Amino acid sequence: MTNLLEVRDVVRSFGGVRAVDRASLDVGAGSITSLIGPNGAGKSTLFNIVSGFLRADEGTVSFEGRRIDRLPPHRIAQSGLVRTFQTARALGRMTVLDNVTLAAPRQPGERLLRNVTRSRATRLRERDVRTRAHELLALVRLDGHAHEFAATLSGGQRKLLDFARVLMTEPRLVLLDEPMAGVNPVLRGELLEHVVALRESHGVTVLLVEHDLEVVMGVSDQVVVMSDGAVIATGPPDGVRSDARVVDAYLGVEA
Amino acid sequence: MSVLTSGEFWAFVGVVAGIYTILTLGLQIEFGYAGLLNFGHVAFMAIGSYTMAILVVKSGWSMWLAAPAAVVASAAGGVILGLATLRLRADYFAIVTIALSEIVRYIATNEDRLTGGSQGTINLAGAEEASDYNGEWQRFQDWFQGALHLGSKDVAMLVLVWAVALALTALVALSIRTPWGRVLRAIREDEDATRSLGKNVFAYKLQALALGSALAGIAGLFYAWQFAFFSPADFAPLLTFFAWMILILGGVGRAWAVPVGALVFGVIFAGTRFFEFAPFTWFDSAERAYLRLMVIGLVLIGLILFRPQGLLGKREELVLE
Repeated sequence: MTNLLEVRDVVRSFGGVRAVDRASLDVGAGSITSLIGPNGAGKSTLFNIVSGFLRADEGTVSFEGRRIDRLPPHRIAQSGLVRTFQTARALGRMTVLDNVTLAAPRQPGERLLRNVTRSRATRLRERDVRTRAHELLALVRLDGHAHEFAATLSGGQRKLLDFARVLMTEPRLVLLDEPMAGVNPVLRGELLEHVVALRESHGVTVLLVEHDLEVVMGVSDQVVVMSDGAVIATGPPDGVRSDARVVDAYLGVEA
Repeated sequence: MSVLTSGEFWAFVGVVAGIYTILTLGLQIEFGYAGLLNFGHVAFMAIGSYTMAILVVKSGWSMWLAAPAAVVASAAGGVILGLATLRLRADYFAIVTIALSEIVRYIATNEDRLTGGSQGTINLAGAEEASDYNGEWQRFQDWFQGALHLGSKDVAMLVLVWAVALALTALVALSIRTPWGRVLRAIREDEDATRSLGKNVFAYKLQALALGSALAGIAGLFYAWQFAFFSPADFAPLLTFFAWMILILGGVGRAWAVPVGALVFGVIFAGTRFFEFAPFTWFDSAERAYLRLMVIGLVLIGLILFRPQGLLGKREELVLE
């Protein structure tokens, strides 16, 4: 399996605290990889570095063989590596449909001067984008809410909207930041199905952050465990669960 | 009371409301669409007025060339402000914009040789020579009045200002419905989420500032043409806040709310000049001037209390996060 994402010896400090301390990890193409660890382990910091929202002090991040650690977040997203946030970021005073159509790549009408000429390419692209957006909203069963403000959605519906929006960007690697956090068990199951469907139906590779190992056991091909800023174990879920260092550093505390 | 029934007076009120409309459209793009808190908007109006006047008087340019150059200068001013400050957090950005507008005004006051200093444009060509940038505009206005058989020069100006103001309002209203406008609205809602979807937030904010500043520059042109003279005192921070009042009065995020807000504001502002009836006659004229500002304040507070979303806004949008 080739690696889609390669993180090598990444270091990031805040003041005197090394939030990420020489962390390395690989995400194989077509895999579902889970990054787990207790609160404060550096997962979110590493996530922000990979997605370009934070700069690494040292180390490299490569996506599809190209260095991305000096790119701004929007360029990383354009290259096919798209993230979500821990709390779903619905754009409240825009309609649910607009939330999804916004995410479409290659819309020439997003360039200011293109609109002066009202180009045909913009209109044609917009038609395709809307069709696709309705399909994706149907997939997450939000099509009934397409024309409502996204702020009227419940917390769980916003998580679903996030899925539709991410898929609209046509990603090759999706970074999900605790997609199951703060949702009820029923919806948790549904979200987990969507995570699996990302790979099975859409061919997208997934890296997800979670602090509860049990949640991701069943779906992960590979688990990366972080503690105190360092990666302490990598491997298939069963192997990681029985790893003594993991039990000590992490599972022992929570269990 | 006779002034209140004079057409000339209301034509003047209408012209000023038209100029405020153009000025406030700039804020609508910057704040209503992109969420940028610009409290120094008047600076770009000043840049527009001064660039035009200086190019005509000092460089001998035709007004017809100087005017578009002035709009470009205003837009460039917005870009420079943006490059320097847009990476700041929203509240810090707002503070810097106030400072910028004061810097522009102080430069206009103190760089006598460039701007005529505190005496304004009358002093543009130096102390010996009275200067005038407005000849070409006046001729155009006369021609326009004649061509359309309009009753007076004031009415000609009224028609010109509002033709431009309404055309610009229509453009601003159309722009927000394009994919470009959709990205701006997304930035207003959540910058990081917009970034994470592959949009270059900084570039869009810069474009919003450039367009907003260009609109302020156009307002500055009409201001200069209408009054045929101006000085740094005309671009006090108060004008920025008038524009904000109009924006809030009309409705944030809706282009057509801007001319409505500007007209309501213009009528309140002008109408309160003529409190020549009890109880206002109990006070002398100096006291009445302050009373007028208090009445304007009360009317605005009343409007905000009963229609916090503005005259054309949708109330439910206010309670959405």
